[in-house]
Amino acid sequence: MSEKAESLVTFIQERCLWQFVSRAPDREENIDGVLTLVGILLTGGAPKLQTPMDRLHFANANHLAMEIKSEFPWLTHLSKEELFAVVTGAIKRIHEITVKNSKNGELHQPLY
Amino acid sequence: MRTQRYDRGDKTMPMKLLDCDTVIPEREQHVYIKEAGEDTTQFLPVSNAATIPGTLSERGCAFCGAKLVIGGVLKDTIQMIHGPFGCSYDTWHTKRYPSDNDNFQLKYAWSTNVKEKNVVFGAEKLLKQSILEAFDAMPTIKRMFVYTTCSTALIGDDPKAVAKAVIAERPDVDIFVVECPGFAGVSQSKGHHVLNMGWIHEKVGQVEPKITSPYTINFIGDYNIQGDTDVLQRYWHKLGIQVLAHFTGNATYDECRGMHRAQLNVVNCARSAGYIANELKKKYGIPRLDIDSWGFSYMATGLRKVGDFFGIQDKVEELIEEEEDKWKPKLDWYKERLKGKKMAIWTGGPRLWHWTRAVEDDLGVQVVAMASKFGHQEDFEKVIARGREGTVYIDDGNELEFFEVIEMVKPDVIFTGPRVGELVKKLHIPYVNGHAYHNGPYMGFEGFVNLARDFYNAVNSPLWALAGQNIQEGVR
Amino acid sequence: MGCSVTQKERSGIINPIFNCQPAGAQYAGIGVKDCIPLVHGGQGCSMFVRLLFAQHFKENFDIASSSLHEEAAVFGGIKRLEAGVDSLVKRYPDLRVIPIITTCSTETIGDDIEGAIRKLQRMLKRDHPGRVVHLVPVHTPSYTGSAVSGYNVAIQSMVTTIAKKGEANGKLNVFTGWVNPGDITELKHYLTEMGIDATVLLDIESFDSPMMPSKDSFTHGSTTVEDIEGTANATASIALSRYEGYSAAQYLEKTFEVPATLTPTPVGIRNTDIMLQQIQKITGKAIPESLVRERGVALDALADLAHMFFADKKVAIYGNPDLVIALAEFCREVELKPVLLLLGDENGGYVKDPRILNLQQNVDYDMEIVCNADLWELEKRIKSKEIELDLIMGHSKGRYIAIDAGIPMVRVGFPTFDRAGIYRIPVIGYKGAMWLGETIANTLFAQMEFKKDREWLLNTW
Repeated sequence: MSEKAESLVTFIQERCLWQFVSRAPDREENIDGVLTLVGILLTGGAPKLQTPMDRLHFANANHLAMEIKSEFPWLTHLSKEELFAVVTGAIKRIHEITVKNSKNGELHQPLY
Repeated sequence: MRTQRYDRGDKTMPMKLLDCDTVIPEREQHVYIKEAGEDTTQFLPVSNAATIPGTLSERGCAFCGAKLVIGGVLKDTIQMIHGPFGCSYDTWHTKRYPSDNDNFQLKYAWSTNVKEKNVVFGAEKLLKQSILEAFDAMPTIKRMFVYTTCSTALIGDDPKAVAKAVIAERPDVDIFVVECPGFAGVSQSKGHHVLNMGWIHEKVGQVEPKITSPYTINFIGDYNIQGDTDVLQRYWHKLGIQVLAHFTGNATYDECRGMHRAQLNVVNCARSAGYIANELKKKYGIPRLDIDSWGFSYMATGLRKVGDFFGIQDKVEELIEEEEDKWKPKLDWYKERLKGKKMAIWTGGPRLWHWTRAVEDDLGVQVVAMASKFGHQEDFEKVIARGREGTVYIDDGNELEFFEVIEMVKPDVIFTGPRVGELVKKLHIPYVNGHAYHNGPYMGFEGFVNLARDFYNAVNSPLWALAGQNIQEGVR
Repeated sequence: MGCSVTQKERSGIINPIFNCQPAGAQYAGIGVKDCIPLVHGGQGCSMFVRLLFAQHFKENFDIASSSLHEEAAVFGGIKRLEAGVDSLVKRYPDLRVIPIITTCSTETIGDDIEGAIRKLQRMLKRDHPGRVVHLVPVHTPSYTGSAVSGYNVAIQSMVTTIAKKGEANGKLNVFTGWVNPGDITELKHYLTEMGIDATVLLDIESFDSPMMPSKDSFTHGSTTVEDIEGTANATASIALSRYEGYSAAQYLEKTFEVPATLTPTPVGIRNTDIMLQQIQKITGKAIPESLVRERGVALDALADLAHMFFADKKVAIYGNPDLVIALAEFCREVELKPVLLLLGDENGGYVKDPRILNLQQNVDYDMEIVCNADLWELEKRIKSKEIELDLIMGHSKGRYIAIDAGIPMVRVGFPTFDRAGIYRIPVIGYKGAMWLGETIANTLFAQMEFKKDREWLLNTW
């Protein structure tokens, strides 16, 4: 993954707690939900918020998208497809770090 | 530059074996020094594992995690500790969580006063007797938590059956039983877990709260240390948000039974109460929003997230502007003077990840060493993601390790408990009470200014310079 | 009319007066130099107590835990104990004593401490030849007795394990009981004035430890292994506390023929007189003029206060039993009226304590001594207006009773964390009596001003 995209991942890792909730399925749900919305917001789209979880993802995504925009101005110069590719890459990478390759043994414990 | 380098010996082993631990080499898996380019898929301290006996670890017990941290905060509830009276004595006058119920929760400690004959023959009759006596002594109190301790767990008492019998006899009372003997788990953490899971499975849903606002939340994982809950409650009130239950700062037993009706769970302390938030999501579909309620910038971020959830962004921005107008000048005054100062955080676990980036962004402070008593690997994922390179991250730190780390990182101040603070005082290092604060509250906008003020006054005390002067060497 | 001794009627406790046995054992352990107590039980048993000591002394004390975890409930805790001793011995090269303090969990499980110690001594010999570490078994389950008896058991255990017959050393063993560093200072002053070579057990004067320019001063007790070994060879022992340490003196008498004397806890003028005269009798050393003068200074100060401010004032006292009884005796010396004493455990010996029998015989007003008491016994009597108090004397955990009822309170005993520096001040001896009197007076004066209750009385006193 390019250096620029990796710096986006680091930015998200440093700021966001939703990627670190206790259970693996919840982490995955949050990562997908929040970052997909971030992608939509960065491209000027209007998110469809129907369920409470949608609104949660929006709550986690809205301000984050604004911060990303100001911290990574080069993102706004990308085309829609390029931007979604970066976001998709970030999603994959964060899944790797916090779920797939995480050394946190408790992630898969249903009791926690 | 966020990096500081220390000699780590073999660079391929970022897990650090401190000198004082060479005879207990398993400690290496618990100590990490972060380097550039590393992430937590490569190195993550082992956490929430068995304590090594005799190390002077900082850990407490499961009973502490249940009663002292969470249950004992409730302002209208008798805390009946089923065991010999020491456990009761020890969790009394050891916290600073006030309430608006005349601080009932600070004044009393109850015990079933288990004696040797009870250990031999069982203590259920004694438990029932003590419960009835306690209710009779305070007729206006109708709620109770019962905790088991080491001895009553070992003798196989069935406190839940006793509680059931009492409730049958006295339908106006309710009792919640927590089975949290001190030897359970490896630290306070087990007590958090047992209490959370018991509460959601047995009590949540039994009371229907009166809904007075279109926006309802539970605030989970805040225990009103020095009035933290009151600070936050002012924000919710200004925003027109109804908090059905604070879990458990300044809360009542019945408020916490009505958690199931909230639209959103806002979580601060994910370690002690993330469990109930997870279960509320699983059982009632209530989304879990994790925020940091410590940190000037973090507080604004957290409020904005809540605002985004409910669609009340304008009100939130108004509140934030008001608070920043009032408090940012003071914060910046401290930032100007605290920039570059080095801080160590040796607390339970979550404050490590709540504070490390907040003090950096808001006060220009570098956190150079952190130790967690009972954090899990999840807490280390968070703190390492947010923390600096070159910082020492320790799981279940012990006293000799503290001395060695101080030599390595030379902090200007240590945020930790009073006893450890009195230890490092001998090294002329000031401490600020990281658990119960010096002059709090520390949450919210004004709270972070309070934290900065205590930090500033601690490091600028003329006493440290005086302590370093040897009068036998003449006047300087 | 008169003094009656009653028992708390409730089974349960609301607001215990003291901590449980292991806490008292730890208090004894930290008084020894090069000693780290190892509490064999859950982590709370040591961690809470370390916090309690830190609250009282504003100091950190080193106490270790065997960190009992769940598997011990099934398999026993001995392996944890052995690992604990191993960690300590290896990481603390100057360590010479490890009191192994049992708790309710490990006593209930039935761990064989003595067996473990034998095995550990063999391991020490093998792995650390030449190194001597005294492993002292201290049996202190929390479901028996209290911190008071735990302290007593620990001192006796340490003496039993370590005292060694040797050359007579001409010393006086002084078993102080549960006192503060300030009391030790006062005691040592008397011993110096009388020219007596004594072993103070335990010498905790160093608990009040400094910040030094060299940064190498940490907090620990000063009684050494040699001091404890030498107790067997002393000329005599004197115990200043019936319930805290006398058993060790009795052990030395039985085992090494070191005659033991029990003297009433030396709080107050008369009790101090008795102690000094006992010491004179035992050692043959005369009481010097300097101490007569000190006594005179104390009496002079108290005479200004007694009939003016103290007479007829009603006092409630709670805390460690020897201290409570001695404080009651002091109060009566200065015309204060102790009307309620709270003794906090179910020690059957209280009803036979000669000092209590004395009170029962001589008190001519209503006084109640509640045995097996908790602090609810005090609070409920105040709330129901069964008693009207002018003063409360006790430790800081009873503070809300005084605060909420608006009754002046003098902090005394253990712990006194809600006032600064109390541990540095003696309550024993003539200086102690003087401090008590003047502190009671100043507390009453502050109350007068706060309540605007004839505060003008102090304009010209």
